[in-house]
Amino acid sequence: MLKYTLRRVLAMIPMLFLISIIVFSLAKLMPGDSLGGEIDPANTDPEYIEQMREKLGYNDPIYEQYFRWITNFVQGDFGKSTRYKIPANEIIMERLPNTIFLSLTSLIITYVLALAMGIYSGRKPYTLGDNTIAAANYIGLALPSFVAGVFAIYIFSFHLGWFPSNGSVDISVTEGTFEYWLSRFHHVLLPAFVLGLLNTASYTQFLRNDIIENSRKDYVRTARAKGTSESKIYNVHIFRNSVIPLVTFLGFDIVNLVGGAIITETIFTYPGIGQLFLTSVTNRDYSVLMTLTMMFSVLTLFGNLVADILYGIVDPRIRLD
Amino acid sequence: MKKSFLKLTALMLVLSLALAACGGGDKKTSKSSDGGNKSGSQDGGTLTYAMEAEFKGILDVNFYDSQSDSEILTFNTDPLITFDENIKAQPNIAKWETKDNKVFKFTFEKGVKWHNGDELVVDDWIFALETIASIGPDHQRWSNVNTIEGAKEFNEGKADSISGLKKINDYEIEITFDKARANNLENIWQYPLNRKHFADLKGNKNIDDWLASDQVRVNPIGTGPFKIQKVIPGESVELVRFNDYWKGKPKLDKVVVKVIDGSLIVGELENGGVDMSAFHPSLLPEIQKLKNVKIEEVPGLSYYYIGFKLGTFKDGKVVMDKDKYANKQLRQALLYAIDREEWVKEFFSGLGNPVNRPMPSAHWIAADNSELPVNYTYDPEKAKQLLDEAGYKDVDGDGFREDPNGKKFEINFAHYDTGNPTYEARAKAITQYWEEVGIKSKLTMTEVNLYYDQIEKDHETMEAFYGGWGTGADPDPWALWGDDTVWNYPRWVNEEANELLKQAVDVEVVGTDQEKRKNLYVEWQKIFNEEVPALPIMELNDVYAISNKVQGVKITPVGTEDMHKWSIKQ
Repeated sequence: MLKYTLRRVLAMIPMLFLISIIVFSLAKLMPGDSLGGEIDPANTDPEYIEQMREKLGYNDPIYEQYFRWITNFVQGDFGKSTRYKIPANEIIMERLPNTIFLSLTSLIITYVLALAMGIYSGRKPYTLGDNTIAAANYIGLALPSFVAGVFAIYIFSFHLGWFPSNGSVDISVTEGTFEYWLSRFHHVLLPAFVLGLLNTASYTQFLRNDIIENSRKDYVRTARAKGTSESKIYNVHIFRNSVIPLVTFLGFDIVNLVGGAIITETIFTYPGIGQLFLTSVTNRDYSVLMTLTMMFSVLTLFGNLVADILYGIVDPRIRLD
Repeated sequence: MKKSFLKLTALMLVLSLALAACGGGDKKTSKSSDGGNKSGSQDGGTLTYAMEAEFKGILDVNFYDSQSDSEILTFNTDPLITFDENIKAQPNIAKWETKDNKVFKFTFEKGVKWHNGDELVVDDWIFALETIASIGPDHQRWSNVNTIEGAKEFNEGKADSISGLKKINDYEIEITFDKARANNLENIWQYPLNRKHFADLKGNKNIDDWLASDQVRVNPIGTGPFKIQKVIPGESVELVRFNDYWKGKPKLDKVVVKVIDGSLIVGELENGGVDMSAFHPSLLPEIQKLKNVKIEEVPGLSYYYIGFKLGTFKDGKVVMDKDKYANKQLRQALLYAIDREEWVKEFFSGLGNPVNRPMPSAHWIAADNSELPVNYTYDPEKAKQLLDEAGYKDVDGDGFREDPNGKKFEINFAHYDTGNPTYEARAKAITQYWEEVGIKSKLTMTEVNLYYDQIEKDHETMEAFYGGWGTGADPDPWALWGDDTVWNYPRWVNEEANELLKQAVDVEVVGTDQEKRKNLYVEWQKIFNEEVPALPIMELNDVYAISNKVQGVKITPVGTEDMHKWSIKQ
């Protein structure tokens, strides 16, 4: 397995290289640059803008800009954000904790809800409860997150006043106190729920179907014939088998964990990586854009690898070599 | 392997989605009018001010470069000189005297305190000017400093100080400019920088070090009514009352400036989560329905126009070498054909007024409508008549006019696209007005970044285009309409008009006489009004929604004012 892992890691390098070329070229091909939006004749001098373009190297051919960028990038210099005027990694680190907090909360909500509903539905298929859950799940699957987000804000923030509609924390509470964490939790709950909606729905259905399928298998019949109690059959024998595919999803969840939710964060004005990614695209903040893209790519590839390795661990029949 | 490609495709899709949703759009500057009643004011309370654009976090006025940061800075910074509702310079912390517009003597108020307790003295201003000068062209405000005598030598390291800055005592300073100009005062950088606060960066020529410093990002200070207490990057800023504010102790305890998505503004105003916010005109009908919110409307400092490419920009010079729209009567007819009243009502909720000159009415140099030679109103008959006179007649009977040579004539009208659905509708309406007088028109919506790129580069697809400009404190329109500036997008050159603009900043001609200067600008506006190289469409008012609880709010075209007098009912 070590050999396999090493091989996969090595294969990532050319892939990342190709990704960087494509994304860099696409980013540079977008019309305009980071200075265009700042033109304001009352305050800026055309000479200053021209000078900055020259200094930032925007007038050089794309391949020269690419080589300059990649040379710095592999040496750990991710460039400076043209919008925030600080190094790209600093601005990303500033937002990353928010996104991780949001994604973790969302992940926990997803798994708790999916396990509870999936087990119930799998055990009592085709009952009223199962059908209700299925209906809710299909709505969850069909509802795009931007619609769900807007509805959630309208109902839970504006109408009922249960949750705040924006931000990650109430600025007036002192950092580090219990109230501070309570406030953060209060702020993160609604976006986390919206973010987890889609995954909850698909994981629930996945688990349900797997449980139903397993319950018809021979080993379950054997267990029943032996007189094992129904709850033990479901909670131990079937559950252990059905949860395997879900475990492998963890690999992909790593990507979501950091990739954040571009749309959800924007709707909830939650300052995280997703929102940062969107502003970096609209402002042509190339260094932040490229650093984030590379980060997402590495995590995607890494997540895939983790998923494949987890397959091997949970199900020894799958051979990796 | 397959899955990872799927994820990447998704990433690409997101990229393109972000493009479609990208901002830009209407260029906007500042705000006005006297608002609120003065009765029943009360001390204490927190005002929550919302804004749509995420702030960058450069919270020292000497280094900021964005509108969003400046909205926060207005609460913690007090300029040396302010501008009244007609954008005329007024003394604030500093008074000035000059005889020749070359040498200025500034006198500071005594007892003005910084948030760290230091007293503001002229050395702080010298420190600011020297800091900008030592950073030089990398600093955005270099052009506001390099007109001081000796600033360039100081920048090049040939001098230890700027020779044009002469400290008389702690409160008086004499500044000599490299030459007399009518706009030296408006142009000079008007904000001091605290010497003690930035002591460790003194003389540092690398602007990046300044921008990244904690003094700019984490604990910035100013002399304004509120001091910044806490900054949550990209999200909110908490400001608390500065008890030693020189104009008097502010009434509010706290101001929280918060970034919220534009779609949340109405709901947050309604449930009291936000007390005050500027908003886009299209939200007006929804906000009017709210009972707990009043609306403040102030004349803005921006105007919108439809430009025609009359030439190109070559080697730093504007050359008029395109003739499709060279006919003056054609351009005039196109303006007569548009019902601007109706259009503003429809697409800007009536929060704007048609203008007949490229200058917002609030500005002190703006010509009165009665002074202008042509008063354009909606008059399709007049438009048709002008077109007939100019030779644009329908000769082949297809219902559309041909050009004087009998060839097909079609206007390719361009408008920027930011994903806002109302933009296409409003641009389409313009082409329909033109078609009503018999001019065939085609509309192209172009992604906003590409749009300005193409306009700037005189791309061949750009011939008639919609645009807007904001004006600053200095009224000089040279940067937009001179013959050597790239922002003269219509590429219009008129010798007489340019001469007027040059004279208006020439001290030999105008001296220190503001009235004389204004008259020259009025003459220039007359030529523009007659020639219409670009059709002035309208000026847009700035609108604020303010909770009924908030009192004493004053807003002028240049922004919010007298924040120390604002109060909130609990």
